[in-house]
Amino acid sequence: MTLDGSTAAVRVDGLSRRYGATRALDGVDLRLERGITGLLGPNGAGKTTLLSILATVGEPDAGRVSVFGLDPRQAAQRVEIRRRLGYLPQELGYHRHFTVAAFLDYVAILKEITGRRRRAEEVARVLAAIGLETRARTRIRALSGGMRQRLGIAQALLGKPDLLVLDEPTAGLDPEQRLRFRELLSGLPGDPVIVLSTHQADDIAAICPHVVVLLQGRVQFTGTPADLAATAAGRVWAASERDDRAHLAWRGGDNRWRHVGDDPPAGADLVAPTVEDGYLLLSHAAGSR
Amino acid sequence: MTHAGEDLLRGYAAGTVEVAEVWSVEAHLMACARCRSALSAHVDAGRLARSRSVLMVRAALGDGGRVRRLLCRCGVPDHLLRLLGATPSLRRSWLLSVLGVLSVVAAEAVAVRYGWVHASAAARPAGYRDAEVLAPFLLVAPLLVLAGVAAAFLPMFDPAFRLAVAAPFSGFTLLLVRSVCALAAALVPVVAATFLLPGPRWLPLALLLPSLALCALALAAATVLDPRAAAVTAGVLWAVPVLLLLETAHGPLPIVQAHAQFACLAVLCACAMVLLARRDRFEWGWAR
Repeated sequence: MTLDGSTAAVRVDGLSRRYGATRALDGVDLRLERGITGLLGPNGAGKTTLLSILATVGEPDAGRVSVFGLDPRQAAQRVEIRRRLGYLPQELGYHRHFTVAAFLDYVAILKEITGRRRRAEEVARVLAAIGLETRARTRIRALSGGMRQRLGIAQALLGKPDLLVLDEPTAGLDPEQRLRFRELLSGLPGDPVIVLSTHQADDIAAICPHVVVLLQGRVQFTGTPADLAATAAGRVWAASERDDRAHLAWRGGDNRWRHVGDDPPAGADLVAPTVEDGYLLLSHAAGSR
Repeated sequence: MTHAGEDLLRGYAAGTVEVAEVWSVEAHLMACARCRSALSAHVDAGRLARSRSVLMVRAALGDGGRVRRLLCRCGVPDHLLRLLGATPSLRRSWLLSVLGVLSVVAAEAVAVRYGWVHASAAARPAGYRDAEVLAPFLLVAPLLVLAGVAAAFLPMFDPAFRLAVAAPFSGFTLLLVRSVCALAAALVPVVAATFLLPGPRWLPLALLLPSLALCALALAAATVLDPRAAAVTAGVLWAVPVLLLLETAHGPLPIVQAHAQFACLAVLCACAMVLLARRDRFEWGWAR
């Protein structure tokens, strides 16, 4: 991510979107470079709205977006963006009577991969990437929630997109699948721009070189996971007793209370902050404003 | 026997040798176990695995059954047929429901016409009896066609609608392909049912234009209104005149007679022009 955004692959300037009285996005400015950017924020922070606009599905009330120098307001350029896009919506619906292979074949056609052989190659490639080769003939209605989520990720990978927009891709995945997903994203060829939203701070810490924290429709933080963790430096303690002055306190696996806040509990030890601590403090600060 | 050289086998495995050489190598391999064994050392395991995966996917996709094979032979592109698979009004359950409704309505009309059941309006002039017994069919049949087309283009019936929006495939083309096929699939049983009904001989043809006009009206209105509102509006614009005519001495038959056919033709032409002029409204998503 660059501050001036002169070479940014995706530029977002002053993006705003309202739903009735609710302001989902409020003057969002962003610069996304090639590589993985994690979008962190609570429910209702505007993540899904922002991602749907980047995917040219939603439309802002105000502001500008540029994807690889293309303007989605122009019909021809919007189609060009879509040719280079892989999108996993938050709530992806499926034609449940389709088999896994048929669904991917269907999406491949929507992505203008019309040759029969090329479609089969693409479907085989993404099925192998996501570990669903043995389920090619299974009907979608017979898949578990985790498998459907993997199928959703697989369809986003069709056509080797330059821009991957993934809205909560790890929701519903078990720990092993999450690790496989991280491996998959890290190994994608062509160095695409990947933007993913998640509630899982450890996903962000593990695979995202860039983090954006979105709170109440505004960008509250942009930087690296280490920078986000550093915002909580000196404000995270471990103590044997709970202190009610902490913004948040929970008992860890070592049976000690981890306190996140401004006031140190009595007899507490300062501990190294994590991405989650930094996010919690940002979120608390935004909530108290 | 002269065996194939290592370079030739390597080239054959990589697919880089000339066609004539391929034939001669393959003829030799059929008869030579030693060269078959030597060939396996040159085969790229990754490429082999990918080819196997592709074959498995092609087997999983199948050829789509008899209807699909037939349509492919008639020149319909294979990928368009896959798109139709996601159209609810082309699914067996939907088509069976249409047949069920048509059977009930047609059977009711036949039963009343031949006096197997008593109609409440039996006191009306005898000359208009057919028109009256046809009323439920005239009301329902075009609405069934409209429902089929609406199910083909309304976003609420496409669970993967967001994917279709975010994809480069033209939304208008998708709409046309699905709607035209849904229209044809619904018109066939409707027209077939009219042959079983009492009434004028021209009745099977008489329902075509109103059905087409109604669907075109819904599609054209969807460029201005919410698609659901457009479909409902078109349905109401059909149902109200039919019900009003039922209260007149002539019954609802005038809704498909000559003057009405001209009106339907005019509506169809006007709606087709609106649809063409505003087709970009079906490129959903940003800037719709």
